[in-house]
Amino acid sequence: MTAYPRENSGELAAFERIMSQCERGVLRVALRLLNNPQDAQDAAQEVFLRLYKHLGDLDAARGYEPWLYRVTVNVCRDIARGRRCSVALAEVPDPPAPQPDAYHDAARAQQREFVRRGLSCLGEKERAALVLRDVEGLSTREVAGILGSSENTVRSQICSARLKLRDFTGRMMRKRT
Amino acid sequence: MSCAKFETDIALYAGSDLAAGRIPRIESHLAECDACRALAAELRAEQALLGELRDQPLEDAMLAQVRQRVLAEVGVATRQPSRLYWKLALAAALVLTAILVWPRHAVKQTPAASNTAQAEAGSVPAAAHGAAPLARKVRHRRHGRTPAPQPGPPLLVQFVTDNPNIVVYWLVDQKPQGD
Repeated sequence: MTAYPRENSGELAAFERIMSQCERGVLRVALRLLNNPQDAQDAAQEVFLRLYKHLGDLDAARGYEPWLYRVTVNVCRDIARGRRCSVALAEVPDPPAPQPDAYHDAARAQQREFVRRGLSCLGEKERAALVLRDVEGLSTREVAGILGSSENTVRSQICSARLKLRDFTGRMMRKRT
Repeated sequence: MSCAKFETDIALYAGSDLAAGRIPRIESHLAECDACRALAAELRAEQALLGELRDQPLEDAMLAQVRQRVLAEVGVATRQPSRLYWKLALAAALVLTAILVWPRHAVKQTPAASNTAQAEAGSVPAAAHGAAPLARKVRHRRHGRTPAPQPGPPLLVQFVTDNPNIVVYWLVDQKPQGD
């Protein structure tokens, strides 16, 4: 078992507060990066255990989100490398075809599903950059800080990811029609 | 088919990531190229869908499970007794043992012992009273007249709680011996 240095109930309360504030973001990013609820939960658990372990080392004034996002990306990368499971188009079952009476909503949900699948087909770095920038809405600078890259590198990654995602969803839509 | 040389900039433009100095060139191209305008529209639609992914609600059960697992592990970890805890517990046990095995009755001095004490104090020569030069052992014999009951030393009771920071000590007066 990991050794946790603090036993102070006040710090435990602070930890719980931070976790309740950030758990949705961490789990959402993990879910988008891993595309698997169970793995995402495992990742989120690991992220918060690391937060607890390093809580005293972090600067609260700078906010915990950048650190949490960085750890989330790293933990998800480790989990993804461990399982080495890429989602191939042929392996993914098609979502159900929309019913005529709720066609618009269902068509929108189907498009979201294609985008979600498309994300899982992107490379590791491009997916992380796109999820942080376009799903989480962080600035390019923030994404660069989290990923430890330059802003130019991040711009290049998200540009490439957007075009690949657009190609993927286009292919899926044509396949559907 | 969009113009390949503009694709990169259009992808950045659609997400508001294009450098300000390059925007006029792209906008003027989009104004005259249908294919690139279509590409920009598709990319913007994709941006909207990605944004919707963020707004999709997470299942509360998933969040609750993560929270429960984390707090369980952290809680278990914080309840692990530290080395200091064990040292304090050992010290408390030693104190308690010492209190319990301590002689429960006051030593009543015998006359010989009194003389010896006086002799040691130098007030009366020991040989003048015919007493042993030094009484090394003083024995208390219980038979015969028993001394007045004396209350025993207080008993230290230690309550250890789940929280290692909280240990309750309780001093209990013992009943006088010989009742």
